[in-house]
Amino acid sequence: MIDIWFEDLPEGRTLDLGERLVTREEIVAFATEFDPQPHHLDDEAAAKSILGGLSASGWHTCAMMMRMLVDGLAIRAASMGSPGIEEVRWMRPVRPGDVLRMKGEVKAARVSKSRPEMGIVDIEWTLHNQREQVAWMKATGLYGVRHPAAGGSA
Amino acid sequence: MWWEDIELGVTTQLGAYTFTEAEMVRFSRAYDPQPFHIDPEAAKASFYGGIIASGWHVASVWMKLMIASSQKRSAEAGERRTGGVSPGFLDLRWIKPTRPGMTLHYDSTTHEKIALKSRPDLGLVRSLNMAVDDNGETVMSFTGQGFWPRRPKE
Repeated sequence: MIDIWFEDLPEGRTLDLGERLVTREEIVAFATEFDPQPHHLDDEAAAKSILGGLSASGWHTCAMMMRMLVDGLAIRAASMGSPGIEEVRWMRPVRPGDVLRMKGEVKAARVSKSRPEMGIVDIEWTLHNQREQVAWMKATGLYGVRHPAAGGSA
Repeated sequence: MWWEDIELGVTTQLGAYTFTEAEMVRFSRAYDPQPFHIDPEAAKASFYGGIIASGWHVASVWMKLMIASSQKRSAEAGERRTGGVSPGFLDLRWIKPTRPGMTLHYDSTTHEKIALKSRPDLGLVRSLNMAVDDNGETVMSFTGQGFWPRRPKE
């Protein structure tokens, strides 16, 4: 059921995508396939590393943020994908047992000049675990315009 | 190898990777379950006209090939690789969709070195990272960042 369109994401709109539990199995499975470094795979090696213990690959953190974004927003929205990400900051390690919470704020919203049926929305996202902020992301998303004939100014 | 030893403007070919539809759908079911990533029929009717890979899948494969390439080079040089840590990345662009059966060629070019006032034992290296298709067209690019240990002062 699509009930979020470009018009529903004006500048200043805040979003709360809820929570996600991080498991050891998931950290190790993702890292085994995409980022097989000792601090993502093995407790003993991770304890001796700069991260001081087993932690998720930063790309895994991004993938988990994407899943939260899909479940909490994109699946209900007229999502048309993304042209890119301005910046991701991996600030603190994400550990097994962490409960992640993701929140966002729309920073800019405009209708595409070349495709008036498409809106371009920049959102800053923060990711916290139960102790502190662990990541930050500024991402651009493309969303369908509900009333393209109206020109949809933002 | 220390931060001081890294030369700028050096491109490393990381290898090629062919994306199958089954693998694309498996990744997206876990982390990016939007219709144009997981449902062939819905994808056909979408903006993209068919199944495309999650952009995070395309980026995670860059990491996979970077680790494999770096482990191979370390083994050849007889060095013990301890694993790297990154504060995040900048300017990730998904320029062209990745469709089933496409082969992407990945590389990484050293671009910038930044000394860290707060951590005199570490330096930052920025690299321009690319995935191009068989026609040489850029599919994805981003600026990666990694911390490197600095050569201890005598």
